[in-house]
Amino acid sequence: MEQLLQLVANGLMSGAVLAVPAIGLSTIFAVLRFADFAVAGHMAVGAFAGWYVNAVLGLPAGVAVAAAFAVAGLVGIGTHEAALRPLRAASSLTLAIASIALNLMLENAIRFGFGNEPRTFAIPLMREWSVAGLRIAPQQAGNAAIAVTAMAVLFLFLSLTATGKAMRAVADNPALADSKGIDPARMARLAVGLGMGLAGIGGMLVGLDSAIDPLIGFRAILSVFAAAVVGGFGSIPGAAIGGFAIGLAEELSLLAVPPTYKGAIGFVAILAILTLRPRGLLGAAHA
Amino acid sequence: MRILETTTRRRVLGGGLGLIAAPVVLRSGALAQGSGPVRIAGLVSLTGGGGAFGPNSRLAHQAVVDEVNAAGGVLGRKIEYFAEDDETNPEAAVRAARKLIDVDGTAAIMSVWASAVGSAVLPLCWENKVMMLAICAADSIAQMPHQGYFVRTQPHTELQTKQFANFAIQQGLKHFYVMMPQTPFTEATFKIVKELCEPKGIKISTLIYDAKKTSLRSEIDEMMRANPDGLMMGGYQPDDIVFAKDLYRAGYKGKVVAFAYGATPQFIEGAGKEAAEGIYTIEPVPANGSTAYERLKKLVKKDQLDTYICQAYDHANLAILAIAKGGAGTGTAIRDNIRKVSDGPGAKVDNALDGLKAIAAGQEINYEGASGPCKFDPIGNIVEVAFRLNQIRDGKIVEAKA
Amino acid sequence: MTAYLLAMATFAAIYALLALALNLMWGIAGMVNLGLVGFYAIGAYASALLTTRLGLPVALGLAAAAAGTSAVAALTTLGVTRLREDYLAIVTLGFAEVVRIIAENEIWLTRGTDGISGIPQPLKAALGTGFNAGYLLFCLGILAAVLFVVERLRASPFGRVLRAIREDQQIAAFAGKNVLAFKVKAFAIGAAIAGLAGALYGHYTSYISPEIFVPLVTIYTFLALAAGGVGNNWGAVLGAVIVVFFVESTRFLIGSVPWLLPVQLAALREFLVGLGLLLILIMRPRGIFPEPLPRLLRGGAAGRPS
Repeated sequence: MEQLLQLVANGLMSGAVLAVPAIGLSTIFAVLRFADFAVAGHMAVGAFAGWYVNAVLGLPAGVAVAAAFAVAGLVGIGTHEAALRPLRAASSLTLAIASIALNLMLENAIRFGFGNEPRTFAIPLMREWSVAGLRIAPQQAGNAAIAVTAMAVLFLFLSLTATGKAMRAVADNPALADSKGIDPARMARLAVGLGMGLAGIGGMLVGLDSAIDPLIGFRAILSVFAAAVVGGFGSIPGAAIGGFAIGLAEELSLLAVPPTYKGAIGFVAILAILTLRPRGLLGAAHA
Repeated sequence: MRILETTTRRRVLGGGLGLIAAPVVLRSGALAQGSGPVRIAGLVSLTGGGGAFGPNSRLAHQAVVDEVNAAGGVLGRKIEYFAEDDETNPEAAVRAARKLIDVDGTAAIMSVWASAVGSAVLPLCWENKVMMLAICAADSIAQMPHQGYFVRTQPHTELQTKQFANFAIQQGLKHFYVMMPQTPFTEATFKIVKELCEPKGIKISTLIYDAKKTSLRSEIDEMMRANPDGLMMGGYQPDDIVFAKDLYRAGYKGKVVAFAYGATPQFIEGAGKEAAEGIYTIEPVPANGSTAYERLKKLVKKDQLDTYICQAYDHANLAILAIAKGGAGTGTAIRDNIRKVSDGPGAKVDNALDGLKAIAAGQEINYEGASGPCKFDPIGNIVEVAFRLNQIRDGKIVEAKA
Repeated sequence: MTAYLLAMATFAAIYALLALALNLMWGIAGMVNLGLVGFYAIGAYASALLTTRLGLPVALGLAAAAAGTSAVAALTTLGVTRLREDYLAIVTLGFAEVVRIIAENEIWLTRGTDGISGIPQPLKAALGTGFNAGYLLFCLGILAAVLFVVERLRASPFGRVLRAIREDQQIAAFAGKNVLAFKVKAFAIGAAIAGLAGALYGHYTSYISPEIFVPLVTIYTFLALAAGGVGNNWGAVLGAVIVVFFVESTRFLIGSVPWLLPVQLAALREFLVGLGLLLILIMRPRGIFPEPLPRLLRGGAAGRPS
């Protein structure tokens, strides 16, 4: 029983971190209507930007997170303008494949600059706390807190600001939004900037208490997709819930399978949800 | 479209036949005998899990080749040295080995470090009669049908694992938990530890983890639930760093022992002093204090040598001496003569220059290297080796009092 | 040097088979498969295990690889062929990852990251140094046979229905075609070819391990197809040759660019592959060779939109 509670605690914390890039992925899908595999590369971009600010420039982790968001967001806008905008008339599949090509380029650009060796952040190594018989790692709890804060800020942005509401309008009904004078290109850039910025935060959080390397996004991408798809691809609250769901599923799976199979859980979840309820938990029914 | 198809089809076949006809006309492959330079190569890990050690191997090889060339080369011919990065990955290694064997025409492939790489490349070597002088330790490699084209200067798994079992026994452990990444020697290690420790009443648990993960929390949680009083951290340097940090976070209080090649000074730097504190390491000792060891220090201008740079140095010396003894710059000559120079009934030599002079004068030699006396058994394993138990204290690796 | 060129030509032939497999699944039948390397792996392991553990002859191993991969594909696609394109992309990517994870962890079966070495190379002893040339001829022969078969399929009624399904599934169903059955068959045949390619790889290099079967292989295949011509079998073969020779030729750059580290050169190489794919998608998404039009529409009749 204690083990079960421990796994649930771990799952909620890792799920929070997973939710962030998942929301990014869903945001981009909601506005641009394609599965953007380059999220993996931008997770790495954010991770390295954050690492650079923290480990090389010596600034605290909070500043590094902001840097991860900003750099990944800007790189996202830049790469999408240069690489994917010329394809805007293409099918969503072509865009998806193009995003894979873009992802390969991003990861290797990072590899070129930083090599393959894992890098660690300059944060102190802390022992786990014992809370009500459960072991909670301070860094993990911190990461979850950062993740939840980021999600909260995003929700506020989407519900309270004019730009945020405009973006939701575009996501819900692009034709109507266009007729109301909302500039689709600007919304697209905003979606990419936000989405990739969130991916960047996610990448940094994944590496914050362990290590980062150019493939950090690639290793997580299946779980990120699973979270977005389970929650309903294109639904932002769905991606948040999906993140927690996948996080829990991965941790609870340790009761049945060895830890090395964790990566397969995402795949199983995707298969299950697409078979049973293709629109996901909160997604709108679409063709 | 039909016309184009036929023409293209003809072109494809024609091109293919052309490629196949070529070797009948041009002889390739066996370049390194007769005249022209003698060619030897290093297949080293410049990147990947073994990336910390490859550059040193290459350095040692190059230093030996340079000093031999300066003294006139071997068999009156210059030595050409090639090095390729195996990326500590068997697939990359196979392609790199092909280039070294087919394009560069090397007689020897030296200082392969990772066992997975050794397993993958050795068949290429014996098929092409190229000699492999290796560092990798998995027992299974020596047992392949390599027809003698394999020796290694690193004690193989069985020899090393006995040391870890002894550690558990001497420390009086009740429950020894063995955790390793998946390698060619993992299963063998588990088996040997069980065979040696269980009769002494020590409970043994084993776990294989994925070395590519950046967090081993779940695996360590599983281990902590069993509450062992001793733990073997059997990984390479990158995963040892991850392991040690998660171990510290989890607050593990028992004894930890690791391979010295994983718990290196860079490991201490990466994991941090607190996480590394108290970890024991076991290493095969280079023949510390031997003349070859001292000579190598001066040659590469380092005052601390690990066993791998010593082994690489010995590989280069042995390959060159065997070529001289055999009178040909081929892998077969190395194979047939390596034991005659490494364990011959003659005077001890500790470097290629002295050995070459002796061979030219018709004398027998017995090479004693920087990594040890270099005696090989018939299937290529090293026979004698000494081990040392160290412990990390205050950020430094010091010899442990047993 | 010639032996090296023979080896590269052999890898090109194997990639050509992969490109043909992808062309059948995606170029002709319109089902994207980002997990192609998973089928490649299954075929390689199937043949390797049957020939090393059970001592079966190589020919049987190759046949079993093709058949076995095909069966796995048929089973797994039953659930997913209904999916829209981007979901199918995600699911197939996951499939390849799971195959690799299983290969890494089920050590009792696959020997995990240790890999399977000593895979029998057909007629190695008899041919001696001629093995490289002989095996290349063998692969070219198989490539020619497979090319013949897929060309026939493409031009046949089966191929026509697949293209119809690719263009508009609903109309094809409306016309009475059992869409699911056609898709599964196309996927299964494509998988058989990919599995065969994997087996050929294993018997050539005599060693396989999970680290070989990475998504980069799939990306190379996509690049080959995009470069050569989506939907065009000859284009697929040509594209594969271009990609393999391009990737391998960069290895020789290492000597001439001394100020870059090996890892940087490796990164540069992969970067260029990504860039190449992106540029092709932007500039010439149909590839060098266009898809051949059906006979009826050549000669100036009002063509289908391509």
